[in-house]
Amino acid sequence: MIFFDFDYERADTLEDAVAMLARLQGDARALAGGTDLLPSMRMENIKPGLLVSLSAIEPSEPELLADGSIRIDALSRLASLENSAFLRSKVPMLVQSAHVVGGNQIRQMGTLGGNLCQETRCMQQDQKHDYQFVAPCFKRGGECCYPFPRNGRDICWSVYMSDIAPALIALDAQLEILGEAGSRRIRVEELYTGNGLKPLRLGHAELLRAVFIPPAPRGYTWGYHKSTVRGGLEFGMAVIAVALQLAQDGKTCTDARIVIGAVREGPVRAAAAERSLKGAALDEERLAQAAAKASKEITPLPHHGFTKRHLMDNIRVYLRRTLVRALERARNPGALA
Amino acid sequence: MLDVTKNAKGRIAARTQSRTRLVSLCVNGEWHEVAVKPRITLVEVIRDTIGLTGTKASCESGTCGACTVLIEERPVLGCITLAVECDGKQIRTVEGLADGEKLSPIQEAFLDQGALQCGFCTPGMLMSATALLEGNPKPTRQDINKALEGNLCRCTGYNSIVDAVLQASGQGVKPVMK
Repeated sequence: MIFFDFDYERADTLEDAVAMLARLQGDARALAGGTDLLPSMRMENIKPGLLVSLSAIEPSEPELLADGSIRIDALSRLASLENSAFLRSKVPMLVQSAHVVGGNQIRQMGTLGGNLCQETRCMQQDQKHDYQFVAPCFKRGGECCYPFPRNGRDICWSVYMSDIAPALIALDAQLEILGEAGSRRIRVEELYTGNGLKPLRLGHAELLRAVFIPPAPRGYTWGYHKSTVRGGLEFGMAVIAVALQLAQDGKTCTDARIVIGAVREGPVRAAAAERSLKGAALDEERLAQAAAKASKEITPLPHHGFTKRHLMDNIRVYLRRTLVRALERARNPGALA
Repeated sequence: MLDVTKNAKGRIAARTQSRTRLVSLCVNGEWHEVAVKPRITLVEVIRDTIGLTGTKASCESGTCGACTVLIEERPVLGCITLAVECDGKQIRTVEGLADGEKLSPIQEAFLDQGALQCGFCTPGMLMSATALLEGNPKPTRQDINKALEGNLCRCTGYNSIVDAVLQASGQGVKPVMK
């Protein structure tokens, strides 16, 4: 049930949709799966005058490009990603991350682009504002942040919950963004501003068209973990994605990418922990030190009832386990599914 | 096609009066033509306009799965699907499972295992389970957990529901009542 009226148009192509969004100058929203947009419209966090539906646009299948990278249509349903045998063999981390999103129905409806462009969340915005009997918070155009009353002016400490974005950043993926002036390519981590009020670096008339994943380098191994309370149909407590690149000896780390999601306004990389792994011979001791370093350098925002201390402990423990699993996977690729 | 007006503050806005549209839906094999505003969701049309109240609207924000219906055989949440998006689509609700007075095997199994108490989540559970069994006739316990993870039940503790799905797929769970 949505309590306000809006208009609805169906776009035949993505270019059409961009043209419509551009004409409305910010009063329109694109509707793909709707699993994030329609709940926030029900809570009246977003009140657009027009929805531009992308449902008439058929997503193309994931394809292997000539340079070895993989192109995935941003309108692909998450269920089609998790069931794709091609993606499972090429980018298992992406399939794993699509597999843990929401519930089955959410994955049947939601799209890859929508998952990356989801709004940040906090407990204040999970309820309709009319029921709260308080002045609006920063994100609703007000002057206060209720979960963090003393966090300073104009700072919205809401948390970006995508499960797939950390995996894509660990995979060093790129996005093709279609705007009025044509398309541009950026790295996935450049999409996020780190500001809860406006978490995405996207114009009002810009849409994601595709995701490009570069070919896996030699000696590449990965690990992914989403911490949850129930294990299904929920947002992550912390989402961890790691990609390691090992030298020929299978021990020395030549490159490491550690990405933590669902604890800040965007996915964050643990730069100091990555540096401590680069060039080092990996063993459990070293990985545990890196995980401890990562939990200290990322200051998690308390969210949805989890304290900062809890989230730091969560990152320290599960990052260590994820890194150890990644190392095991490199030594014995068949052992872990 | 796209009306753009200026609002009171002089900013460009879509027209505030949204147009009512005619939408054709095929619900359980029967075509219905309904006039809806864009803000009306699929579950509101199914319950209030078409009058099939088997599908429940519970959280209405995509959290609980009670409103699950099958659109083109895919389980989706009726409360966060706009009715205008479903124009010309095949929709199956819980009323479409039974053949007259004869219940479908999954409904029989739910009855037999006592897989419902208050029954509010049951229509959604049945639709999710139907979609699972059509794609995968012999699911494991793990498959069932994964397929039903989008449906919340506060009464049964889920075990009897999983047993019922196993029983409906003919996998060695003993009928309780018979």
